[in-house]
Amino acid sequence: MREFLKSIRFKILLAFIAFLMGIMIYAVTRGGYSLSSVSFINTITKPFRFITNAVSMKIENTADSVNNSISYYEENKLLKQKIGELNKQLTEYEDLKEEVKELRKLVVIKEEHPDNVFSQSAEVLGYVANDPFKGFTIDRGYADGIKPYCPVITPEGLVGITIEVSQFTSTVRTILSPDLSVATVCSATNSDFGIVEGTVITAENNMTKLTHLTMNHEVKKGDLIVTSGSSGLFPKDYAVGTVTEIGVEANGLSAYAEIKPSVDISRLSSVFVIINFDKKKDINTKREEEKKAAMEAINEDKDNP
Amino acid sequence: MRIKTTREKRIFYFKTALRWTLYYVIILMSFVIMTTGSWKKPVLLVPVALCIAINNDIMASAYTGAFCGFLIDIACGRLIGYNAVILTIFSAAMTLIFELYLRRKFINYIVLTAIMTFLQCFLDFQFFYKLWDYENVNNIFRNVTLKVWIYTMISSVILYVIFRIINNLLMPKEHLTIEEVIRNN
Repeated sequence: MREFLKSIRFKILLAFIAFLMGIMIYAVTRGGYSLSSVSFINTITKPFRFITNAVSMKIENTADSVNNSISYYEENKLLKQKIGELNKQLTEYEDLKEEVKELRKLVVIKEEHPDNVFSQSAEVLGYVANDPFKGFTIDRGYADGIKPYCPVITPEGLVGITIEVSQFTSTVRTILSPDLSVATVCSATNSDFGIVEGTVITAENNMTKLTHLTMNHEVKKGDLIVTSGSSGLFPKDYAVGTVTEIGVEANGLSAYAEIKPSVDISRLSSVFVIINFDKKKDINTKREEEKKAAMEAINEDKDNP
Repeated sequence: MRIKTTREKRIFYFKTALRWTLYYVIILMSFVIMTTGSWKKPVLLVPVALCIAINNDIMASAYTGAFCGFLIDIACGRLIGYNAVILTIFSAAMTLIFELYLRRKFINYIVLTAIMTFLQCFLDFQFFYKLWDYENVNNIFRNVTLKVWIYTMISSVILYVIFRIINNLLMPKEHLTIEEVIRNN
């Protein structure tokens, strides 16, 4: 031992330890930055460390999964269950969000038209196959209070009218169709009345036509056309569309305007049906009275031949 | 077809049931395709009914034609029964023509399907647009009726192949005895 302590090897060892301590102290003074030599070594050894680390991690994970396979399996099962529940909640949340959105729109329309009775939001089931006038079917029928010839709207404006109603579905004829006439007025002038009626040509471009305008009308491009409510078939003040083109009919007696519907009829997902409104009630009553009067007249004729 | 044993009978019933199930699955799928989206689509149910009519007896073809017709009426928003009547007649006629006059060849099928599909599209145009005398009504014929007819003809080729495969696999083949063959000849 004494020999060793006196030997050069021991002195070299001491010197090396002192050198290492010196490096240690220097490293402390670097304030967190590694020494250049360490950086060099790190850089050189990085790929090897990466590979060896990856291998060791793999082995470790395999061993761990073998050892704890049952607990992992149980955990996995629980997590899957939880994910399923969360997905279900997410779907419900999305549905509710959509419903709230629809209801908000309905509230706005209801505030604007307090006398109108609306159906619940109706989903568009599908468009009538190969119909050039974009007729479609909705998922509400007479079980929801819908009758034939009820106006169909969206918050943007008028879409059309129900023409065929079954228990849970209804077919809608749109304002692009020549078979539907809507009494309208220009909202800017409030005096230019006309009839909105689709044509084959305008329907090709998802447009419709305002006809029977007087020759001295004041309708301009960009004016909004709204329902006048005078026919009793549609309630008042629902947007139909904006004027894009104005012209004179071939007969030279009246003018017409091409209308871009407020609603994009080719891309509908949900609509509302107006089940009842003030003027419609009046018309129904009037019709019943007329019927009664006619029946009475017939009966009188039978009594006094 | 001559059925000899109980096993043969069972196989025959099973194949027939499976064949008709597949027919009706195709019919329902065609209906779903016809009611999806707002673009122009082929009237798939017409070639389907005609494909079925080629290889089956007249009554089965007529009933299937009527069913397909009802589905077309629903999909196209037509008067319920209108297309049912047309397709019943077409299906029955198709069966009769193939039984009496023509061989079951693709060319015969495609020619007859072209005629019958065109008739169906043309009658639809006549009754639902032309009759009402809409302004520029011929635009509908050009832009809708003809396009739909062309799409239907293209799809009828695909449908023919599908039905050919089903029939090859599941249609009972005729087994004649030697005596019957001699008698027939």
